[in-house]
Amino acid sequence: MAFPKPAATLRSATGIPTGRLAVWWLLASEVVIFGGVLGSYLMFRLGHPEWADAAAHTNTWIGAFNTLVLLSSSFTAVLAHQAAEKGDGKTAAKFLVLTIGGALTFLMVKSVEWTIEIREGFTITANGFWSFYYTAAGLHALHVIAGAFIMGIVAFDAYRGRELQRVELIGIYWHFVDVVWIFLFPLLYIAK
Amino acid sequence: MSENHEQHDGGGHHVNYKRIYFTLLGLLVVSVAGPFFGILIVTLVTAFGIALVKANLVIQNFMHLKWERRLMKWMLTTSLLLMALMFAGISADVLNHEGRNWENLAARAAIERGIQDPHAEGALAEGGEAEPVEVAFNVENTFNLVCGSCHGTAGDGTGAAGAALDPRPANFTDPAFWETRDRARVMNVITNGAVAVGGSPLMVGWSASFTAEQIEELTDHVLELRPE
Repeated sequence: MAFPKPAATLRSATGIPTGRLAVWWLLASEVVIFGGVLGSYLMFRLGHPEWADAAAHTNTWIGAFNTLVLLSSSFTAVLAHQAAEKGDGKTAAKFLVLTIGGALTFLMVKSVEWTIEIREGFTITANGFWSFYYTAAGLHALHVIAGAFIMGIVAFDAYRGRELQRVELIGIYWHFVDVVWIFLFPLLYIAK
Repeated sequence: MSENHEQHDGGGHHVNYKRIYFTLLGLLVVSVAGPFFGILIVTLVTAFGIALVKANLVIQNFMHLKWERRLMKWMLTTSLLLMALMFAGISADVLNHEGRNWENLAARAAIERGIQDPHAEGALAEGGEAEPVEVAFNVENTFNLVCGSCHGTAGDGTGAAGAALDPRPANFTDPAFWETRDRARVMNVITNGAVAVGGSPLMVGWSASFTAEQIEELTDHVLELRPE
């Protein structure tokens, strides 16, 4: 190692590599954050039958396409991990770049979708449904942006054969972002 | 950092990632096709049942939770339990719009108003903001909900919440009750509570909940119950 590392990075008191344990800790807190938003959405949606009229305006095909994009990007993320396990940093970096491409496609589709909706007057203040729609999907999109950014750093290192264990760590985070969308998709786009 | 790298275990389990990916895509197609049948239960199962299956596939196989130590599973279970606790704690107040002694008028009004088409005339105020919820005061509804819980909607002192009270809630249909009451006294009791006239502390004052005009309306409503 060229750089001295903090002891915690190398130590593994639980039998789980510290970095991976940290990512899971992060995700455990994320479960509560997204769980809180989605749980609140669910109870309001069930208590307000009129929200179905608003949900009818969301575009299922756009949502389905973005689900396809995220599932595919999860696939490339896990392939990157597989390559990193074999010590093939260049291939891992290549798959990570593909995953970033998925993230950018997702965000582009989302911005087009939101532009259409906002122009039609469905703004965040229009009513309760749209408030939840933009809050939940917006919080999710922020996670996509953060993930893509970190993935860029990891890919840069991985290409040079450095810090290959991080490929798995960003992958776990990315799959979580995918899982959140897996639940957002039926909640916002299918149940009408 | 090879020491950590050697502990990677997902790859050692020969997961067929491609097969899982195509299974996920197949499930996506099913969840999109679900609503086309137009049967509610099919839509719900294909939407949320499949979401659970998809999430489980990703978590177990892509995130390798399947091979993770038990500690990790407990951590995540704790998070999920916290989420369930939150839902169990507050959902009853959100899902219901009335209880024994309360009514969520704003939620009712929102349902009645429905979701407005932003293009419809007058749907949005000029600034593009949604109009604030305004709930009209209805003296009869208010009496039935607020007073009626103890005094009964007929004002005969037989409200469910008043059944166990001692002294019993006043019966406004009893001529004896009116022998010692007049409009000013009724209004005083509604405003300041029965304690103001030496009565039961169980009849609290309502000046914080209603305006003077609303209390006058309630007073008149009580007077209407007086037998001829």
